[in-house]
Amino acid sequence: MKQLHAASVMGALGALLILAPGCSKQLETKSGSAEFEQGAAKPASPDKGPAGQGQGQGNGPLKGFEPAAPGKALSEERSSDGIVVAKADSSDAARRQAEELQKDQAATAQAGLKDIYFAYDSWKITDDARQALILDAEWMKTNKSKSVIVEGHCDERGTQAYNLVLGEKRAKAARSYLVELGVGKDRLSVASFGKERPVCQDHAESCYQQNRRAHIVIKAQ
Amino acid sequence: MKRAVPMIGLLLGIGLLGLIEGKAAEVFLEATRPDFQKIPIAVLGFQDEAKANRPDDRVAEVLKADLRRSQIFAVADTAKLGIKPADLNDPQRAALKRVSDSGVTAAVWGKLAMREDDLVLEGYVYDDVKNDGVVGKRYVGAPSVLRLMTHRLADELVFRYTGEQGIARTKIAFVSEQGGSRELFVMDYDGFAPRQISADGFINLMPRWSPDRRFVAFTAYHGRSKQTIDVIELATGKRSTVVSLAGLNITPAYSPDGSELAFATSHDGNSEIYKLNVQNKALTRLTTHSSGDLSPSWSPTGREMVFVSDRGGGPQLYLMSADGSDVRRLTFEGDYNAAPAWSPRGNWIAYVCRTEDKQYKLCVIAPDGQKRMQLTTGTGVDDSPSWSPDGRHLVFSSTNDGKNHLYMINSDGTELERLTSGGTHHSSPSWSPA
Repeated sequence: MKQLHAASVMGALGALLILAPGCSKQLETKSGSAEFEQGAAKPASPDKGPAGQGQGQGNGPLKGFEPAAPGKALSEERSSDGIVVAKADSSDAARRQAEELQKDQAATAQAGLKDIYFAYDSWKITDDARQALILDAEWMKTNKSKSVIVEGHCDERGTQAYNLVLGEKRAKAARSYLVELGVGKDRLSVASFGKERPVCQDHAESCYQQNRRAHIVIKAQ
Repeated sequence: MKRAVPMIGLLLGIGLLGLIEGKAAEVFLEATRPDFQKIPIAVLGFQDEAKANRPDDRVAEVLKADLRRSQIFAVADTAKLGIKPADLNDPQRAALKRVSDSGVTAAVWGKLAMREDDLVLEGYVYDDVKNDGVVGKRYVGAPSVLRLMTHRLADELVFRYTGEQGIARTKIAFVSEQGGSRELFVMDYDGFAPRQISADGFINLMPRWSPDRRFVAFTAYHGRSKQTIDVIELATGKRSTVVSLAGLNITPAYSPDGSELAFATSHDGNSEIYKLNVQNKALTRLTTHSSGDLSPSWSPTGREMVFVSDRGGGPQLYLMSADGSDVRRLTFEGDYNAAPAWSPRGNWIAYVCRTEDKQYKLCVIAPDGQKRMQLTTGTGVDDSPSWSPDGRHLVFSSTNDGKNHLYMINSDGTELERLTSGGTHHSSPSWSPA
């Protein structure tokens, strides 16, 4: 009995799944409208208006073939690009962001702060890293007006998503040690870039070890 | 979860019932089983009216590639059939009989013509088994959408034999490196027509489609220390920030009905999974653990999620109900399993597994923890698997060829195909719904 019941539920689910593509109602109803014209796919006939002929459902669900009787024309489906994608506006946001990043970088290069490195899969602060962080903490104590961002990075192995979490663990481990050394927590923010900003591009351990790092960046003022 | 197995069989069975009566349950439990009997189809050619007596290869080549990728058809070598372009103008029974006598079930051919500024593509099908005469479709559009018209004809053929919508008109959103920054792109499912949809100048990651295909949600960096989840409306390029909690805001995933967006945030100190009600913006916390929880992926019913947690040491896959209750561990093999993607048919979860020799490869596992299978081999770092809406393919990134590229693979691990060429880095692919 239980099985029978399950089967009927599943049948309904099956029907739902098959109809699922039809769920994109919003898209269907707009097919043939101006929204479906795309830059790369220019409106077919501007003189006919952006909606074109408007016949058929060029982007909606499939309708099936129709009998092709001799002498009888097939009905037409107008095609414009199925999923319209507006091209990115290359505003000056990109330029502003790049400038901001460069400022941080320039300020950091002068200060001579030390990066620290981690073992594979690990966010444990090693003895070498401790030595480097002691020097960084000294600098922070001397330059009391400065705030820094501790960036966590990973090598290319592992997934993009988990490496973002791992990178954050590395950044937070470095921050904790700096706090332990007496640097105010409010001067230390953390960020993670996972495997997205490698300093070295080769697929080799010599490269990987340079990428598994916490990089300390001074916030430009 | 025990119930999942018969359910999957049933779903597939219904979807493919029109294909071969009586054999459906037996043959189509797995659409990609090696003994799956493909339908032999011949693409006879497309006659371009402007080029007398010369078939148009563009349409035929795109169509054949689509039919091959559909995994429904076996594309016959038309050269061996000896059908001349002239036979296609007004196909006689004789020419078609030659096709069916050769063992091909379906023959496809067509015409291509200009009408003012438009291209008119006509496609015809004849199938001796179905015995419904010659059937056809006529498509009209700008010359620039010829590939799309052809994809639609391919999907129409898939629809005729399976009742499914096909995947030839789907798209893939992904991340590509542009002058040092990582930006979002959308391309056709076969790697053609990439289009840049963000130009922020830094890092955008993990695009994910809304079920209605109107929006893509993703992680956006704003400078070094701020990261948000943003949404782009594809048709307009209109952009909005939907999550801007302190800390990491990553791995967005729309629920199957589009009403909720699950994601991971570290604003509680460590990464936890939340969901955002898309309408009223209410946030619900789903996980509470001192370890990292991330990468939620919804079951097709919306009742469950698979996610990654390192609460047991290394990252492993866990299941939970969509309200955060009933958490249980799914993967036990290996010390690193991450980036899960629940298949649209519900029967598989694809993910990145670390093998015994420390390679990051694609694996699949059934939601009941059975049938674990490694799909890829080699030394490349594989990442970010995403399912095609028909559940027969995966797209993923890999460093197999040196640089990060995107690849398509059948869900049984066969037919690896590279989708990107050139460039320095392509990652984070996400396959659109059908």
